[in-house]
Amino acid sequence: MNQFFYGLLLLIFLALPPVAHLLESIMIVHMHMQMPMLVIAGFLMARLFQLRFPAFFEKWNGNGIPGIILFLIIVVFWTIPRAMDEALTFPSMEVFKFFSLSILAGIPLRDSWKKLSTIGKNAIIVIFTIKYFGMGLLYIKAPVQLCNNYLIIDQLTLGWGFLTTAICLVIYLLYVTFTDPTKYE
Amino acid sequence: MAIPKTLKEKANKAMGISTEDARITKTYLFVAFMALLVGGLLGLLQGLNRAGLLELPSWLNYYQVLTAHGLLLVLVLTAFFTIGYFYAALSHTLGGLLPIVRKMAWIGFGLKIVGFVFAVIPILRGNASVMYTFYPPMAASPWFYIGLALIVVGVWMCAFGAFIQVANWRKNNKGKHVPILSFFATGVFILLFFGSLPVAIEVIVMIIPWSFGWVKTINVMVARTLFWAFGHTLVNIWYLTAVSAWYVIVPKIIGGKRWSDLLTRIVIIALVIMNITGGFHHQIIDPGISASVKFMHVFMSLAIGFPSLMTAWAMFAVFERTARKNGGKGLVGWYKKMPWGDVRFLAPFIAMLAFIPAGAGGIVQSTNQLNQVVHNTMWVVGHFHLTLGMSVVMTFFGISYWLVPYVSKRVLTPAINKLGVIQTIIWTVGMIIMSGSMHTVGLLGSPRRTSYTTYGDNATALGWDPYLLMLAVGGTLLIIGVLLQVYAVINMMFFAPKGETEFPIAEEEEGASKTPYWTERWGLWIVIMLIFVGMAYVIPLTEFIVNAPPGSPPFKTW
Repeated sequence: MNQFFYGLLLLIFLALPPVAHLLESIMIVHMHMQMPMLVIAGFLMARLFQLRFPAFFEKWNGNGIPGIILFLIIVVFWTIPRAMDEALTFPSMEVFKFFSLSILAGIPLRDSWKKLSTIGKNAIIVIFTIKYFGMGLLYIKAPVQLCNNYLIIDQLTLGWGFLTTAICLVIYLLYVTFTDPTKYE
Repeated sequence: MAIPKTLKEKANKAMGISTEDARITKTYLFVAFMALLVGGLLGLLQGLNRAGLLELPSWLNYYQVLTAHGLLLVLVLTAFFTIGYFYAALSHTLGGLLPIVRKMAWIGFGLKIVGFVFAVIPILRGNASVMYTFYPPMAASPWFYIGLALIVVGVWMCAFGAFIQVANWRKNNKGKHVPILSFFATGVFILLFFGSLPVAIEVIVMIIPWSFGWVKTINVMVARTLFWAFGHTLVNIWYLTAVSAWYVIVPKIIGGKRWSDLLTRIVIIALVIMNITGGFHHQIIDPGISASVKFMHVFMSLAIGFPSLMTAWAMFAVFERTARKNGGKGLVGWYKKMPWGDVRFLAPFIAMLAFIPAGAGGIVQSTNQLNQVVHNTMWVVGHFHLTLGMSVVMTFFGISYWLVPYVSKRVLTPAINKLGVIQTIIWTVGMIIMSGSMHTVGLLGSPRRTSYTTYGDNATALGWDPYLLMLAVGGTLLIIGVLLQVYAVINMMFFAPKGETEFPIAEEEEGASKTPYWTERWGLWIVIMLIFVGMAYVIPLTEFIVNAPPGSPPFKTW
C-alpha cells in the first residue's frame, strides 16, 4: 500500500502543470526523464494491483511474456517523434501518455520482470540497446526537425542521450556476459 | 585454498602489517606530510601577502605560490594520504597485499613522483602560474600538463591494484561481504578512476596539443566542464575517505560499535553513483547553459546532501549510544563521557562538527541565486578551507596518530597524544579565524586568486583590510599547527618507542540485521553511475560542442 501511495504521489507530482511544463520544455528530459519516471510511478503502483487481482495477472501474464510485450509496444510508441509532438499538441494524447506509460507499461513491467528468465531479461536489454543505437543515429543524422515542437539542437541532444544510454547498456551486457557471479557469490 | 587464506588473515591480524605492505603506506604518508609542510609554508606566504604584510619577490610571485600551494595540498597531500591509508586498510582487512598489487602501488608511486617533478619545474620557472585548475584559455607550459597526466596514470595504477586485490579476496571468500573499510576503498578507487577520466580527456586530448601549439584553439566551455566533472569528484573522494574513518575507526576508538552496516554501504554506493554529476554546480555562472537545465542540476547537486545527512545521523547515534553505555546521563549530558583527551577521537570529531557549516556553505554555493553573490570571491576559498582544511584534513590528522605508529611498528606515546590535542586546538582556532574572515570578506566582495591590492585606495577595497589581516593571523596559527603535526608524524614514524599498535576497526552491533548481498554488485552500480553521468552531461556538452563559439588561443596572463 505504501508503494502504491508513493507511485501515485509521483504520478500526481509529474502531472502538476509547472512540473510537466518544465520537463516537457527540454526534449531529452521529456523523453528520458519524464517518461521513465511515469513508468516508475506505475511500477510502484503495481504492487497493489498484484495483491488485489492475482488471478488476473496469473491468467493473462502467467509467464511474463504478454506483459513485457505490452510494455515494449507502449515504450516503443513513445520514442516515435510524432508521438511526442502529439502529446504536446493534443491534451487527449497527453492524458494517454500519462495513462499508458504508468498503467500499461509500468504495471506489466513489474509483473513480468521477475517471471522472465535471465535470457529473457537480457534479450529485452539487447532489444533496447539496438533500438537506442538506432534511435540515437536517427536523431543525430536527421537533417530536418523531426518534432515540430523542438529545435534541431534538442534533437541532437536527445540523439546523444540515446547513444550514451545504449553504451551504458552495452557495458552492462559485457559485465553480465564476462563476469561469472558463481566465482564470487 | 580457503584454509591457508584464513590462516594468513589471522596471522596478519595478530602480527600486524607485513614489512613490505607497511613500507608502501609509510612512503605514501611521508610524501603526504612533506607536501603538507611545504604547501603549508607556501600558504603562509600567500596569507601574509594577501594581508598586505609581505611583498613577494618577482621570481616567486603570488600566483606561482598559489599554484604550488594548491597543487601540493589539493593533489599531493590528499592523493598520497588516501592511497597510503586505503592500501594499509586493504592489507589489514584482506589478509595482506598480493605481490602484483604491491608492485602496482610502487609503479604508481614512481609515476606520480615523476609527474610531480614535471609539474613543479615549470611552476618554479614561472611558466605555469595557472592556479592548479586546468582552466583554458589560461595556458601553462605543456610539460606541466604532461606531469599532471602522469600523476593521473599513477593514480589509475593504484586504483586497479585495489580492484585486483578486492576481486581476489572475493574469489577466495565466496558469498562474503567485503570488509567495510575495503568496501570504502573500492568506492573511493572507483570514483578516482571514473572521476579522473574526464580530466584525462581534457588534458591529453585538448590541452596538451593546444599548449604545444599543434592546434590553434580550444573549446573553453567543454574543457571547463570536463575539468569540473573531475574536480568535484576529487572533493568528494577526500570526503568519502574521511567518512570511512568516521564510520569505521572512530566508533572503535570511543569503545562503541558500528551503527548499521547496510546504511554505511548504501551511503557509499549513493555517493559513488551521484558524485560525478555534481560537478556541474561549479558552473552555475557559466554561459551557454539554459536556466531550466541549471535548475534541474540543483536537484542533482543537493541529492548528494542526502547521504551526508544519513552520515550525520549515524555518527551521533553511535556517540550517544556509546556514551550512555559508559554511564552518560541527560539529554545532552552524555557528551561528558566522550574521550576528549584522545587526539584520535578529538581531531575527527571536530572535523565532523566543521562539516555542518561547511556543508551548509556548500548548499549556498550550489544554489543559483546565492551563488551569484559569492562566485569567485574569497567566500569560496573560505568554503574549501573549511571542508578540505578542517573536515577532511583534521580527520587525516586524527588517522595519522594510529596509522603512522601501526605501519612503523611503534606506539603513540602520551606526550605525542598531548601534542596532538594541542595541535588540534591550534588548528581549529586558526582555521575558524582564517576561514571565517575569508567567508566574510567574500560576502563584502573581495575576489579570490588576486594578489594584495587596494585598487588605488578605493574605499570598498580598503574596507576588506581588517578581514585580510585576520586571515593572516589565522594562517600564522595554522603554520604552527602544520609544524606540530609534521613533527608528530616524523616522531611516530622514526623515533617513537617500538611496539604494536592496533588497526582500530569497529565491530557491528550485536543483533544487527543481515546486509543483503546486492550491495556487493559493483558492476551494476557503475552502470547506474554512468547513466547518471550521461543524464547530467549530455545536454550541456552537446550544446557546447554543436553551438560552439570560435575557440580560444592560449593566453599567458601573468
